[in-house]
Amino acid sequence: MQELDNLALLLEQGQMQSVTTLTQQLLDAGIPPQVILNEGLIAGMAVVGKKMRDGEMYLPEVLQAAGAMQAALKLLKPHLLRDGVPSRGTVLIGTVKGDMHDIGKNLVATMLQGAGFDIIDLGVNVSPEKFVQAVEAHKPAIVGLSAMLTTTMLTMKPTIEALRAAGSDVKVIVGGAPVNQNFADQIGADGFARDAVLAVERVKQLIDIVP
Amino acid sequence: MNSRYLQALKCVKPDRVPFLPAIYEHKGWFTGKTPSEICRDPNLLVAALRAEYETVKPDALTIGVDVYNVEAEAIGCEVTYYEGDDTSVPAINPQAAVFHEGDNVSSLKVPDPAKDGRMPMFINAARTVAQTLGKEIPLRGAVSGPFSLAAHLAGPQKLLLFSMMQPSIVKDLLGFAAEAIKRYGNAFIDAGCGVVMFDSYASPALFPPDMYREFVLGPTRGIIEHFHHRGIADVPLIIGGDTTTLVDAYLETGANNILCDAKANPKEFLKKCSQQNRAYRRNLDAAFILDASPGEIRKCALENLEQAGGYAGFILGTGVLQYGTPLAHIVAVRESIEEFSRQTGR
Repeated sequence: MQELDNLALLLEQGQMQSVTTLTQQLLDAGIPPQVILNEGLIAGMAVVGKKMRDGEMYLPEVLQAAGAMQAALKLLKPHLLRDGVPSRGTVLIGTVKGDMHDIGKNLVATMLQGAGFDIIDLGVNVSPEKFVQAVEAHKPAIVGLSAMLTTTMLTMKPTIEALRAAGSDVKVIVGGAPVNQNFADQIGADGFARDAVLAVERVKQLIDIVP
Repeated sequence: MNSRYLQALKCVKPDRVPFLPAIYEHKGWFTGKTPSEICRDPNLLVAALRAEYETVKPDALTIGVDVYNVEAEAIGCEVTYYEGDDTSVPAINPQAAVFHEGDNVSSLKVPDPAKDGRMPMFINAARTVAQTLGKEIPLRGAVSGPFSLAAHLAGPQKLLLFSMMQPSIVKDLLGFAAEAIKRYGNAFIDAGCGVVMFDSYASPALFPPDMYREFVLGPTRGIIEHFHHRGIADVPLIIGGDTTTLVDAYLETGANNILCDAKANPKEFLKKCSQQNRAYRRNLDAAFILDASPGEIRKCALENLEQAGGYAGFILGTGVLQYGTPLAHIVAVRESIEEFSRQTGR
């Protein structure tokens, strides 16, 4: 559908006003909100993710696109709830203790929201104890740990250890500029993603293997 | 005076490759103090610097711990410190920015290094270290780069969005940041030190290379020129991450010592820096230094030395070392340099 392709393109360009206007027009025209979400917004962000990985887009443009997506999601959410579109699960996310960086975490949270997940964002500088308490309280399907620095990514390991010591088998996905698959394997993470779009894919894979 | 580092900065062949590990919060480990302790007490900081000098034996010292926070805090940002035996590094919460959409940059006040925030503490420590060690080893006071300071003032995410939607605000913020940095750097110079500028928020991982040229290059060049006029010929510019696409821009800033971080392409830095007779520091990965054995670290260091150790402007260092990184792992890098020098005469 041409309008959905346009929506994806406008999102890729980060044109927040145009994205929200077209989203509203599509809703008014009776297009199902889930179709708008999947074929317009998520399709647009998938292009953004690929272009970022390929070095064709940089973070300021990606943030602009994510901001447009969030604005459109606000419009869609009541319609998705009304239509009874079920949540795909709860993801609890935070930047690990000692680290105040939140851009990557915020991007991942936005993308997961767009993909139909409920997000509990613990913010930055989150201690292992706080992760454990939040997991016990919210029973998420996935925990996402973010770190921006080589010095703070090391806190991911004690965070995972604290979760396991508390008896939790929640799946843990890690990400952030200095993190890679090898490090994720070393610290016992269940998954790693190098950008927000891949994080959604990885979370979906992990959810599928949750009994 | 150990002039090895200063010779390398001038691309005059030193007796051996200088060794410059990035030790900031890790300084406290040498005296059993936490980063939050040494960054708030001049006596503890001076003791930590002396211990770093005596145990690690680097070829220059940096007067700085939480190097991106000091100017921002003096302008009004709130720094989170950690108490007790918590060795986390003090940091600024991005949600506690002091500059918001609709604000006017002219409402921000350039801080006074004599009285605002922890600036006086760092300047006092610098003065003391200059008096005690200044004749033995080059000293550099750590200052923020303009983009990193602006990122703290507005919040990193907001600054990136401003760059797309309201670029004039970014230009104004960086102009203000440049004035704050010059003034703080002046105080280090008056205390008997040089300066070293850190601007990793402007790394390509966060900010596009073409936007670096548009927004950051000019203010950075202005700061470096200012320090040159103050008589500081050697101004290193430290930007982490894979900065390979920005080598030319960094050289255009006038910095005579730029950083080739562990993720960057060392061949590109060697080629471009040697063409322009400029020094650069190659970093070994800090996580590798923490986890690898001293033997593995020596092997990696020697590989880097084989590649570039013959260049007079080559400096070998490390990424920012984690608090508690074993001393033997750090010393392994210096010993590799010494071994390389003995074997090759370079």
